[in-house]
Amino acid sequence: MRSSMKTPVSVLRLPRGPDPNSRGFDPNSPRFIALCPTTVPSSSSSGSADEGEQRLRAELRERFLRTLLLMTGKRVRFDMHEHVRVHARFGASDIDVLNLQVSDLETPLGVQREALLRCQDVIACSFEA
Amino acid sequence: MAMRQTPLTCSGHTRPVVDLAFSGITPYGYFLISACKDGKPMLRQGDTGDWIGTFLGHKGAVWGATLNKEATKAATAAADFTAKVWDAVTGDEVLTLAHKHIVKSVNFTQDSNCLLTGGNDKVLRIYDLSKPEAEPQEIAGHTSAIKKALWCNNDQQILSAAEDKTIRLWDKNTKEAVKTLSFDASVSSMEYIPDGEILVITYGRTIAFYKANSLDLIKTVDAPASIHSASLHPEKDFFVAGGDDFKLYKYDYTTREEMESYKGHFGPIHCVRFSPDGELYASGSEDGTLRLWQTAVGKTYGLWKCVLPEELSSENSEILYCPPAEIKA
Repeated sequence: MRSSMKTPVSVLRLPRGPDPNSRGFDPNSPRFIALCPTTVPSSSSSGSADEGEQRLRAELRERFLRTLLLMTGKRVRFDMHEHVRVHARFGASDIDVLNLQVSDLETPLGVQREALLRCQDVIACSFEA
Repeated sequence: MAMRQTPLTCSGHTRPVVDLAFSGITPYGYFLISACKDGKPMLRQGDTGDWIGTFLGHKGAVWGATLNKEATKAATAAADFTAKVWDAVTGDEVLTLAHKHIVKSVNFTQDSNCLLTGGNDKVLRIYDLSKPEAEPQEIAGHTSAIKKALWCNNDQQILSAAEDKTIRLWDKNTKEAVKTLSFDASVSSMEYIPDGEILVITYGRTIAFYKANSLDLIKTVDAPASIHSASLHPEKDFFVAGGDDFKLYKYDYTTREEMESYKGHFGPIHCVRFSPDGELYASGSEDGTLRLWQTAVGKTYGLWKCVLPEELSSENSEILYCPPAEIKA
């Protein structure tokens, strides 16, 4: 048999296979949303709004916690009240995210080996992932 | 430049795929349902093969599956002696219809109000889906297990194929057989094309085309191997067939000449159907996979992308997957 000289047709990707964890029928698909507008049979409409909000809150919380994990050991810039901007190596947060443990905190008075930053003073933190 | 067909393999089933059906074209595209001996029929997006969901509930091999035109309902026939109706948007089971034996075939009327079932108890049943508790109408006559049952002629007649080597045309109202065709071999598959009233049947190595309302023979074509299923293109210029030798054959309907054959499956092909727009056809095999094949090889459609030769060798080619050229020894 001779080798095939024709170019095979290119493909963008392969068809998606089944999700091992679910039976599918994504409730967020456009078709589902259009054809099944009231799919929460037992709870009232306000109940379903709460469920939606709770889900979003949970998602945002998870994202925040993952960001804290990612920040560990990195050099972070903290923007704080009164136009204070400092850099430090982030260590950890306490359980209620009230204080942030940092190392080598660069302050106008010099570098503080170890320090705790009060979360309520922090407006934003940024870092390179 | 001639291109080589790249079939798209849809995996997920763990046992042979024995039946498949397309929906009509809906505002969300068209859909495909596959029946599998693993008992878990699956719904896929028709033009990409992407899995949408699995209908869970049957306790035995699923022998037949169908979708209504709008792809809002699905029906399945199984070895657990039931036919089930499903909501094809949510995946929920809507109805279980108990039978006295293995159910092999299910088919909706155009308005999705009635479901036709047929199976090993040799009786055709018509269920009114708006009155599911009511007893179905029954049509008896076949002397062996029914393999396939279809509505035809504007849902006024029924076509059924059975192991008794006959195909019978029934009047839905009188429940009488209007015509019977007898064969030397058991009919392996049946497809009804409403536009043009054509019936495509396969038996042995033959693919035969009949007028659906009269059961008059139009033409026959013989293939190199035993054929299990065939499908006629919506524009009736080609048909495809597959069977025991694992290959898919493409024929010119007018001249009856074999145009192409494609290898790809690792087992006998049990079912093949053209999509409602005719741009692709799907095949189901003993190897547990469904494969999608382009009608016009090289055309940009679904997941297939037409790539010009200059693009293939360029640095910033965005094509993610180009199957390696096979060198055959």
